[in-house]
Amino acid sequence: MFHWLEKHPFFFAVAVFVTIAFAGLVEILPNFAEASRPTIGTKPYSTLELAGRHVYIKNSCNACHSQLIRPFKSETDRYGTYSLSGEYAYDRPFLWGSKRTGPDLMRIGNVRTTDWHENHMWDPSGVIPGSIMPAYRWMFANEADVDTAYAEQVTVNKVFNVPYNKPIPMKDGSTEIVMMGASLDAAKAEALADAKVIAADMKNQDVKDMVASGKIPEIVALIAYLNSLK
Amino acid sequence: MDIGQIQAYAYFGFTAFLVMVLYGYIYHLYSSEKKGTRDYEKYANIALNDELTDKPVETVSKKDETKKEEV
Amino acid sequence: MENRPLEYDYTVAKWFMIATIVLGVVGMLVGVILAWELAFPGVNLMLGEGLAEYTNFSRLRPLHTDAVAYGFTVSGIMATWYYVGQRVLKVSMAESPFLMFIGKLQFILYIIVVAAVVVSLLLGLTQSKEYAEFEWPIDLGVVVVWVLWGVSIFGLIGIRREKSLYISIWYYIAAFLAVAMLYLFNNMSVPTYFVAGVGSVWHSVSMYSGTNDALVQWWFGHNAVAFVFTTPIVAMIYYFLPKESGQAVYSYKLSLLSFWGLMFVYLWAGGHHLVYSTVPDWMQTMGSVFSVVLILPSWGSAINMLLTMKGEWNQVASNPLIKFMVLASTFYMFSTLEGPIQAIKSVNALAHFTDWIVGHVHDGVLGWVAFMIFAALFHMAPRVFKREIYSKSLMNTQFWIQTLGVVLYFTSMWIAGITQGMMWRAHDEFGNLAYSFIDTVTVLHPYYTIRAVGGTLYLIGVFMFAYNMFMTMTAAKRVEESQMQNTSPMGA
Repeated sequence: MFHWLEKHPFFFAVAVFVTIAFAGLVEILPNFAEASRPTIGTKPYSTLELAGRHVYIKNSCNACHSQLIRPFKSETDRYGTYSLSGEYAYDRPFLWGSKRTGPDLMRIGNVRTTDWHENHMWDPSGVIPGSIMPAYRWMFANEADVDTAYAEQVTVNKVFNVPYNKPIPMKDGSTEIVMMGASLDAAKAEALADAKVIAADMKNQDVKDMVASGKIPEIVALIAYLNSLK
Repeated sequence: MDIGQIQAYAYFGFTAFLVMVLYGYIYHLYSSEKKGTRDYEKYANIALNDELTDKPVETVSKKDETKKEEV
Repeated sequence: MENRPLEYDYTVAKWFMIATIVLGVVGMLVGVILAWELAFPGVNLMLGEGLAEYTNFSRLRPLHTDAVAYGFTVSGIMATWYYVGQRVLKVSMAESPFLMFIGKLQFILYIIVVAAVVVSLLLGLTQSKEYAEFEWPIDLGVVVVWVLWGVSIFGLIGIRREKSLYISIWYYIAAFLAVAMLYLFNNMSVPTYFVAGVGSVWHSVSMYSGTNDALVQWWFGHNAVAFVFTTPIVAMIYYFLPKESGQAVYSYKLSLLSFWGLMFVYLWAGGHHLVYSTVPDWMQTMGSVFSVVLILPSWGSAINMLLTMKGEWNQVASNPLIKFMVLASTFYMFSTLEGPIQAIKSVNALAHFTDWIVGHVHDGVLGWVAFMIFAALFHMAPRVFKREIYSKSLMNTQFWIQTLGVVLYFTSMWIAGITQGMMWRAHDEFGNLAYSFIDTVTVLHPYYTIRAVGGTLYLIGVFMFAYNMFMTMTAAKRVEESQMQNTSPMGA
């Protein structure tokens, strides 16, 4: 039987495939539904936050920053409560990262402000002496892609039933609603309104001018996203 | 019996099966050499005598050819 | 013309050899730039403020990993497949115009995909999943290239003269099947443009969310390492080491057993990337346990290779090619021991997220994968170009300079990783954290510098390799087929 297998490439290939596919079937399939259930208080991203998340991904921030707090005292002391599976329910893709050249950002919104991010992204080592993070000054000039962020909202809402425009239970018993514009223009207007709130806390004149003229720079979207990480 | 249990049994069964197959394979490799039915070590020569003019260790015969077509 | 005897046709192998060299230089050059950027952040601005977006660490990092994995290594795999495949099946590509066409088409599409990858990553078009960064249109191209490779493998097997498949072919088949399965499942995504009708055509969202996405990603990520950086490289060493040394594999039976062992065990080990994360505990444990079990089949192959040289160790001193391969299998043993150690939960708690992991990847890839590919190309070059290798002394110099580079690399990363891991968890007498994060960054500066030096040495070796190969192709002395039975002919 074994020798027959060795001489019949097709059945040999089938045998190899069964052997390698087995692990995946056992490990991955079973927990799928359970692992994707959101925890109470986890909200989907708003249009502007999602556009910021795309900026984060575009620049591979996850190459140096994790978003996963492990259950050790040293980590919870430094970064806050350890991560729960359901907190990632609306993360497509996940951004856990695999290397901490810089600190974890899972709950960065609890510790840093708009103002801090603005200074830090412009000149990291000016804010943190000794920092090896490069500056991201082009984000102050490039425009964020709100269209694609809106497209993603529509997609996850349609295909994966992500609850936009629906009440979402919060930890204190109240509910909150994350809005998704009925049309692209509505979504853009909403994102701009959010952007204005953030730009008000910023001092870079180019950014302020852009927002005043109805454009959203990447840095504003990114800060909206970073502030949402709590 | 919920899905988790079925899964656990299936996992155990399949793993046990594969372990048996693996040991069966080891037994097959050594016993067939001892009995002289097949010498696995000769296949190592496929790499050494690999010119087009070299004689294959085992030639594909015409009979096998037709069988393979069915596959 | 009619009377010319049938010969192996290495056209496609030749093309992929050149791609291997070019992409090797590109991938490792980018890697060295990254290393210097970490040591001296000013390097991020090497082309000025205006181009900072494209020379910045975070933009270049995926380009480095993908260029080395899918550029250099995959080209090397293809080059050796189009060489070894013909030889151990004893059939020439020239016998089948169809397979010849498939091979050439595969190469051309592959180059197009590579170009698309380089441009898209520089522009920041990425899915952000490690080693699966490409957006969906490129993924489709990858699938086509891969299917063509499958046609080539099974097509060549279909017209073979040698009835039994040599062990190398087994490993190539496994690499083909596993990468196909892993890549497809991990890249499942919904292009947003087609649902919403607005936004970028390139953009897509993953079919999996959060923890599930992580699980699928590391099931893929770990096994992409297995089936790009391990199985095809094992396929190479099972052919090239015996052929170059003239020694049959020490135990062919052991090679078969190791194969099935590796196939079964490897796929379970992905969970070790997720230890102490939010995936279920039993999966983390499974990942750790199977990672340790994985030592057995890995060492089975590595020991088999070293024993193949039994009684022939004088060849290691006299033949630089054998040197490359013996060091490669030694590094294989080393990194397949190091990996399982890092997968043990308590060690992982310390090592995860640190530079020790980076060190581990690099002793595997620089020491094992790249050394084996260099050796394979050196062995193929005289047979493909019908010229002796241009310079043996240059090969020897390359070997030593690169070995020194790897050693500097992994030792500095060990120290950096463990130092950082220890500092992150250090508490003072009151139970407060002893160091702020920036303390754990500045302390690494000397190690980052040593690493950059090590990487630069290795890159110098790659340039020597490229030069040596170029001269072999164009200027070296011509040799006859009969001089190439085992040991590769090489000039002083």
